[in-house]
Amino acid sequence: MNCQLCQKNLDAYQEGRLSPDMMTQVESHLETCDSCKRIYNIQLLANRVINSEKETGVNTFLATRVLAGIENLENAGHEKESFTVRILQPALITVSLAAAVFFGIVLGNLSRPAGNTDKVPVELALINDVSLESVDILSLE
Amino acid sequence: MTDSETINDIIRGDKEKFRLLIEKYQQMVFRTCMGFVHNKDDADDLTQEVFIQAYQALSKFKMESAFSTWLYRIAVNASLNKIRRSAGTSLFQRIESLFERDNNKVDFFSPVNTEDPESIIIKQEHSLWLKKALDSLPENQRTAIILSKYDDLPQKEIAEIMNITEGAVEALLQRAKKNLREKLMGDGRKKSKK
Repeated sequence: MNCQLCQKNLDAYQEGRLSPDMMTQVESHLETCDSCKRIYNIQLLANRVINSEKETGVNTFLATRVLAGIENLENAGHEKESFTVRILQPALITVSLAAAVFFGIVLGNLSRPAGNTDKVPVELALINDVSLESVDILSLE
Repeated sequence: MTDSETINDIIRGDKEKFRLLIEKYQQMVFRTCMGFVHNKDDADDLTQEVFIQAYQALSKFKMESAFSTWLYRIAVNASLNKIRRSAGTSLFQRIESLFERDNNKVDFFSPVNTEDPESIIIKQEHSLWLKKALDSLPENQRTAIILSKYDDLPQKEIAEIMNITEGAVEALLQRAKKNLREKLMGDGRKKSKK
């Protein structure tokens, strides 16, 4: 067996997936080839590290933590909703009303006839007796 | 009760049923996350994040694939996002996380552990050596090898999770193993030179 074939089969050899004949061939090659033996040892070590990480157990309270996290998220959503209902909604209604009144006034002013100036009617001059009896004259008396 | 029945109950409002799914798949998700972050605390946080994301997107799960496949996809994406985020952190944060990582290894010194301190230190060094090599792989190669080595998934399932063909998975795994071996050997040589 050459090095290339041996290295190709190292994984399967390690996992015991090779035929008995191939197992023996790889084994005898590893005994004589330092470079393949080194690769095999490194692979063994890497797999040992992976296995020790795989054996690490998950937090016992994970399910409770997840459900609490979901609850918190939903509560935060409701709080946002209640903020909208309690504060934003009345504020928006007030602003809309103020805007409606303002635009009403603006529109009302725009619709006034252009010739509507403050002219004093002729009849008013007849009843304007201010010049006849001045308040200043009366006070002097 | 099947997964789809449980999911339907959850969608209808029986939130507590989600606990069944968590308990069934927590170790699976945790293992995947562990393969990416190599740190128990980070893997715990990621697993929690994965299940919350899954709950929020549960109504979008069309049951076309197995629930586990869908969950694996969420776990892989969350893990890759976490790594991308931490790659963008400041030097100070990275140094800090290195110390945190070392703190997490204190469990090697627990009274249950009968190993001598020297072998514990060697073990830690080996662990870091593997992590460095795995982290240097491109994302798709890393995903394929983690799903294969940490979760012992067959190529067919990896292909489904990664949404690629089985042939592509095989090619990815071969390249990943080759790169990983070179990286491990290279680092080993550097170590022996020291």
